[in-house]
Amino acid sequence: MLAISLQPEEFDLALGVQRWLIVFGTVLLVSLLVSLMASLATYGGTGPARLFGRLGYAACDFMSLSPRRIFAVALLTFREAVRRKALLVFVVFAVLFMFASWFLTGNSERPEQDIEVYVGFVFTTISWLVLLVGGVLSCFGLPEDIRLRSLHTVVTKPVRRNEIVLGRMLGFGSVCTLILVLMGIVGQIWIVRQSQGLTLSCRVPIYGVLKFLDRTGAETSKGLNVGDIVETRGFIEGGTKGAAVFQFRLPKSQPELLRFESRFEAFRTHKGSMDRTIQARYVLSNEEKGLRVPLEKFNVAEFSQNERDVERKISYTNEKTLKKEEVDLYNDLAQDGWLTVHVQCLDRGQYLGASRGDFFVRELPDRSFSAGYWKAMVGVWLMVVLLVMIAVTASCFVKGPVACLLCFCVFVLGQPAHDFMDKLVTGKQVGGGATESLYRLVSQANQTTPLDNQMMERTLKTIDRLPSGSLWIAKHLIPDMRTFSMAAWVGKGLDVPWYSAMLPSLAVALGYILPCVLLGYFSLSLRELESK
Amino acid sequence: MNQTTSRQRKMAYFVGMLVLLAPIIGLGMPGSGTSGGGALARMRSSYDLGESNLGQVDPTSATMNLVLLGLRGIAVNILRMDLDYYKDHKEWSKMRTTTESVILLQPHYIEVWRFLSWNLAYNVSAEWDAVPERFYWVKEGGKFAQRGTQRNQENAELYWDVGKTWSQKVGRSDEWRYFRKYFVKDPDEKSFKGQADPEVNPEMKDNYLVARDWYANANEKELGRGQHVMMRALFRSGPYKALLDYADALQRDVKYEPSSDVIKEKFSRARSIFDEGYAEWVSKYGKERYRTGKAEVFMEADQNDVAALAKENGLDAGVIRREIDFFQKTTNYRYWRERARAEKMPTTAEAHRQLYEGERLYKSGKLSKDPTTGKPGAQEMLEEGMANYAKLLDDFVELRSEDLTVEEGMWGLLIWRKALDLQGKPIPENYPLKWLWEEHQGLVASLQDRFNSMGY
Repeated sequence: MLAISLQPEEFDLALGVQRWLIVFGTVLLVSLLVSLMASLATYGGTGPARLFGRLGYAACDFMSLSPRRIFAVALLTFREAVRRKALLVFVVFAVLFMFASWFLTGNSERPEQDIEVYVGFVFTTISWLVLLVGGVLSCFGLPEDIRLRSLHTVVTKPVRRNEIVLGRMLGFGSVCTLILVLMGIVGQIWIVRQSQGLTLSCRVPIYGVLKFLDRTGAETSKGLNVGDIVETRGFIEGGTKGAAVFQFRLPKSQPELLRFESRFEAFRTHKGSMDRTIQARYVLSNEEKGLRVPLEKFNVAEFSQNERDVERKISYTNEKTLKKEEVDLYNDLAQDGWLTVHVQCLDRGQYLGASRGDFFVRELPDRSFSAGYWKAMVGVWLMVVLLVMIAVTASCFVKGPVACLLCFCVFVLGQPAHDFMDKLVTGKQVGGGATESLYRLVSQANQTTPLDNQMMERTLKTIDRLPSGSLWIAKHLIPDMRTFSMAAWVGKGLDVPWYSAMLPSLAVALGYILPCVLLGYFSLSLRELESK
Repeated sequence: MNQTTSRQRKMAYFVGMLVLLAPIIGLGMPGSGTSGGGALARMRSSYDLGESNLGQVDPTSATMNLVLLGLRGIAVNILRMDLDYYKDHKEWSKMRTTTESVILLQPHYIEVWRFLSWNLAYNVSAEWDAVPERFYWVKEGGKFAQRGTQRNQENAELYWDVGKTWSQKVGRSDEWRYFRKYFVKDPDEKSFKGQADPEVNPEMKDNYLVARDWYANANEKELGRGQHVMMRALFRSGPYKALLDYADALQRDVKYEPSSDVIKEKFSRARSIFDEGYAEWVSKYGKERYRTGKAEVFMEADQNDVAALAKENGLDAGVIRREIDFFQKTTNYRYWRERARAEKMPTTAEAHRQLYEGERLYKSGKLSKDPTTGKPGAQEMLEEGMANYAKLLDDFVELRSEDLTVEEGMWGLLIWRKALDLQGKPIPENYPLKWLWEEHQGLVASLQDRFNSMGY
């Protein structure tokens, strides 16, 4: 059985922008209200006027941004980073790659699996090293300048605070970009060397829309569960009308040959024939025209890709008339440019598992490995840029070590803990929210069992739901670092898709620019630079 | 106010350091080829706790542990969580790599080797549909345990686990027929070119014979450091039982052999293996001494032995007999002794062959003797087999209560009755194994179902 295939989920940009506006607007509003109250408390009646005056000054600062000054600060930052021996990170990088083979066991029988491991190693190593260097440099840059008073030589020049923040971000971002590009080149050479004799591919998938039919042929929301802990795949029953129905948007160029690629999972309820694997077939259909074109059955190979070429003109035996007929893929089978493919399991009593990522139409010809590799590297770059932005912002209002700690927390919350936050906000967390968990802890109640006192359970759940709005805001304040991980696509020899991988990562990184610059600017403006 | 000068303080620190250094050197100095080193090094050596005493030293593993300082436990926890995640998400290549990482950090934690090896051989292999793929993962599990033995050369449990994987998993799972074949001829033609995987089976032997070697090694290591897997007498039965299982597997194999000559040869080989197995069972395994709470006994003991053991242990002969009986029952000693003794007899092998050949003749429609060639048909072959089988059960009464033995006899009887029925002949008043048919009527329905499903 092959690994659960990557599940592409199209990113809804409009929804993303809407959420960004809600979160950004709310935070802005709360900050304004707090500032207003603080100004009233500090300056009395003149406070609001002073506050709005300061905001007006800030608006002027932003209106008169000078790219030349920003570039000058960025150049200075770049030189400073080089002077601080940031490029020594290459020594660590070289050492890791020299000894990588010690830690990565090659598998002579399944070399194709190794590519995934090699790609994973390269991306993990590069990400961690660049993040570490970028994070530390960015966190300590401004606080160190303040400590050594070298910032005075900058702020006394006609440079605005927002230009300093932007220049720093740009400077550190450039250092990280340089390091990333060089490491990326070495990483690619290393993967190619390690994978000698193997084909490094970058297949371009066109994913479809999936729905299921149950054993009676009726449409159902999902397939059967055969006991998998992770219910990514839905299963269909063999020898029945059960089917996984995929609908693909066909390429407008209407190529003469379409290649289907699948990675279904088989599940046996009885031993059956052990001489072969479970059999399945594709049935191309056009419901409007009442056409059903079954293709030749195939044995489901869980390990390797099931590839099937479909030519434009298809000869088939009509199941009703039992006569040989011919259809045209685009003119007869496609409906408004969409092709419907039913996947059926042919073995009675056995099951076939399918998920959206398991079956796709492959665009031909394949792209070069470099295309996918560097797209995924862009993902790493966006993550590094985001971290640099957060680190520079943090260094505007706290000292270096604290800024480091803050960045580390953001990173941890953004990667492994984001899943937990998602569950907490959506109410899917096993054991409930904070109050219910506390009650279970004290009463030694299992997380998975319902509480004995139902009234108590309802009350606790209601209490836990009260701060759900603020939790939702908090969840969206922490960047979802998982968005930037694209190495899995490259490891599996697939192209990194734009809508489900590149676009969301770009949107996340872009979404933090304005908040970070604003926060950094106001923090630096209000910071007492004489204080070490 | 401190009156000492900076130099005086530095001197004091230096003297303090020297004083503290002396016990550290005395305790922690590493041993070398000529000297035993410090007290800790000597103790490590005398208790066989040094890396090199435990097994092969892996520089990678040592480096990882050194680099992680005190964070090894945390790193292992994270890796184990990753491992479970990859397993749940069926990310097999990543799971395999994570397994290696865990073991780099815990090379001498035996339970980790045991669990991960079992996980690969039993859990992961079952996730695959194609039998060659399942075999690949069984091999991965076995190989993993084999590597564990290299890193922990004195640990008997890991040797025993390897033996168990090659005997039980390969020889007894649903796919045993394929697995046994693949064990001597790997399905991965590209890598092994029709040979066995040399890492697993360099001499291309039967899986049970390879398992036997591993069990024998486990027994040898067990003498040194003991084991914590199971009762000692059961643990040590491994190599002897593997030989008997090998003979049993040869008998099972014949059902998939098309040629009568090969069937005859396999039954004959199984008989000689049972002969060898019986000799080892009674003269070696039966004579191994085991300590109970009360006495030290061995299982193959006659009256004289019992008397001698009673004297040696200072106990009553009845107590010794009860202790021996306890061991024999726990290890199923008497059954295997009787089974091997029965199977080594020429008439037994002949009975198996005749019953099986009779079934084959029935299947091919040859119900009675061919009048032209004089070759026996299913009826005659089965009657000869039944007679020999009846003799076997008369001579070895203990086998009468053994399920598989009863089933084989009943199956032969059912087919014989079908053969007579098809020929329109009545069932005679008396026939061999009549008592067996009458005693086990409860089995007839399930055998009839099996008969129907085979489409004869």
